[in-house]
Amino acid sequence: MAELQITGLSRSFGGVHAVQDVDLTVADGETRGIIGPNGAGKSTLFNLISGHLRPDRGGVSLDGRPLDRLPAHRRARRGVAIVFQAARIFPGMTVLENVMVGAHLRASAGFTAAVLRLPAHRAAERRIRELALDSLDRVGLSDRAEDPAASLPIGLQRAMQLARALCADPALLLLDEPASGLRAPERERLASIVEELHEDGQTTLLIEHDVAFVSRLSDRVTVLDLGRVIAEGTPEQVRDDPAVVSAYLGTGEGAAA
Amino acid sequence: MRSAGVWAVLAVAAATLALPLVLDSGGLAVYVQVAVSASVVVGISLLMGYAGQVSLGQAVFFATGGYTAALVSQAGLPTLAGLLAAPVVAALCALVLGLPLLRLRGHHLAFATIAVHLIFLAVVAQTDALGGSTGLQGIPLLSLGPVEVSTNQGYAYVAWAVLAVVVVVARNIVRSRPGRALRALATSETAAASSGIPVGRYKLTVFAVSAAFAGAAGGVFAFYIGFLSPGMFPVSMSITYVVMAVVGGLGSVWGAVAGTALVTVLVHYLGVLGTLGGMPDYAPSVLTYAVYGLVLVLTVLFLPHGVLPSLADWWRRRSGAREGRDRAGEEEREAAPA
Ligand SMILES: Nc1ncnc2c1ncn2[C@@H]1O[C@H](COP(=O)(O)OP(=O)(O)OP(=O)(O)O)[C@@H](O)[C@H]1O
Ligand SMILES: [Mg+2]
Repeated sequence: MAELQITGLSRSFGGVHAVQDVDLTVADGETRGIIGPNGAGKSTLFNLISGHLRPDRGGVSLDGRPLDRLPAHRRARRGVAIVFQAARIFPGMTVLENVMVGAHLRASAGFTAAVLRLPAHRAAERRIRELALDSLDRVGLSDRAEDPAASLPIGLQRAMQLARALCADPALLLLDEPASGLRAPERERLASIVEELHEDGQTTLLIEHDVAFVSRLSDRVTVLDLGRVIAEGTPEQVRDDPAVVSAYLGTGEGAAA
Repeated sequence: MRSAGVWAVLAVAAATLALPLVLDSGGLAVYVQVAVSASVVVGISLLMGYAGQVSLGQAVFFATGGYTAALVSQAGLPTLAGLLAAPVVAALCALVLGLPLLRLRGHHLAFATIAVHLIFLAVVAQTDALGGSTGLQGIPLLSLGPVEVSTNQGYAYVAWAVLAVVVVVARNIVRSRPGRALRALATSETAAASSGIPVGRYKLTVFAVSAAFAGAAGGVFAFYIGFLSPGMFPVSMSITYVVMAVVGGLGSVWGAVAGTALVTVLVHYLGVLGTLGGMPDYAPSVLTYAVYGLVLVLTVLFLPHGVLPSLADWWRRRSGAREGRDRAGEEEREAAPA
């Protein structure tokens, strides 16, 4: 169960209204596409949901319980996982270790258990490792598990981050342009992962510039422009919406970047 | 390769145990100094290398441990209780100081820890209970049950035993769930937090652990030297610890020990050289500081990962190249940068 409810959410930077009075409800198990021209406020919206930014006004709740007072790591505990637009990897670690960090919340052995090498520590290590290997398998990176994370090309670093997010078994998955930098076969793999997650009842928000890609994967699509929601509906409804057409034409953005 | 590692560790352990029996008194003093300092430096390596935090005030926790051990013993409690209290009190101080300090980052944190160091020295010099600027005299010898540790050899074994505990604790933390979390937050606090890692609490914990290491070392030092005064803990001492950690290789536990040994031995023998007949009387201090500077610059320029990790890399590449000649298929993998 994971229903996302956003009401009156606003955040500005100096004079720039990055997100303005956004209302958004995403049903449990829905894949929601978020599109909009560059600078529309899509990433800012994700940062507000995941707790990396504080809003000026408005609120976010998951399953009817507000997230607003929680810092980012507590929201992760509530089941929010994010794949950032910019690759945020842990460069000194292997690919496997990067993904193991994502399983942090799936075990609880802390400093004391580690120092004393208690059975809880060993059980946690085994479990975290298994979960990470499963996630790596899912995104097709098993054969790179022992490579330094920084040696992956940027597209695969993003796939590694997806594995890290999946490892947490999230209630709400936020994907910020996960397909950028991927080549065609990797892109297809990503699409099929998102589809599988959808079948398993995962609630997902997907930001993408490639409208065809989003339309194919999403139940509904929300269009942002200049921080505001300018259209929402099924992919077909949104595509024909005159406000959307003019927003894209107005900024000179190609709809199929 | 693996069994070679085991043999190397055994050989080092045997040499460590045998050295106090053969060293002269000067050498023995250096030997104790290395173990005492290395316990502090392992903590700094953990703090800087794994958690990405800088502390230029680590001598404060060393001194805190020393004063704690001294006061507990002088109050008539067992000296062993003093030694055990030293890391605990130092860690508690770190928790209290860390709450405001660790909100700072990078060089702000470095400067703030120097400020804490200066305030600490001023406060100790004004506090009668701590002996003021003249310090505490007549700290009893350490007793382990019925055995009184009265020789420098005895303190060498105590210091190295404490270091062994410190190394084991540090390595156990590094190779674990919280250790991974620390390495993660050292490079991206944002990404770490989004995986559910409580960044603030983890930074505070590792700060307290590093302070506990320094406190334990300070406790040994107090019993070994027998007196304490604020003048024994200058800011340059904190900086020296950081130099040792950088030379050894941040984020390498054994590197911290190697870096400490290298810098300590070098500085000691240059000091000896400086006091030889015919040298001007400023020679010892000039030589010492010149060596800090030179060693630091050379390390950063030529061995940016520190002495021990660079040696290990070189060894791996060398043996890798040898195996590669036998097994051509492996060559590509070995050639990839580690
Ligand atoms: N930390 C920040 N400081 C100042 N301005 C910011 C900050 N983050 C975002 N902005 C501004 O807010 C607006 C929305 O940015 P945001 O990154 O949310 O857009 P986006 O829709 O994700 O764009 P893109 O498609 O290029 O990723 C932009 O005008 C951006 O310059
Ligand atoms: Mg963006």
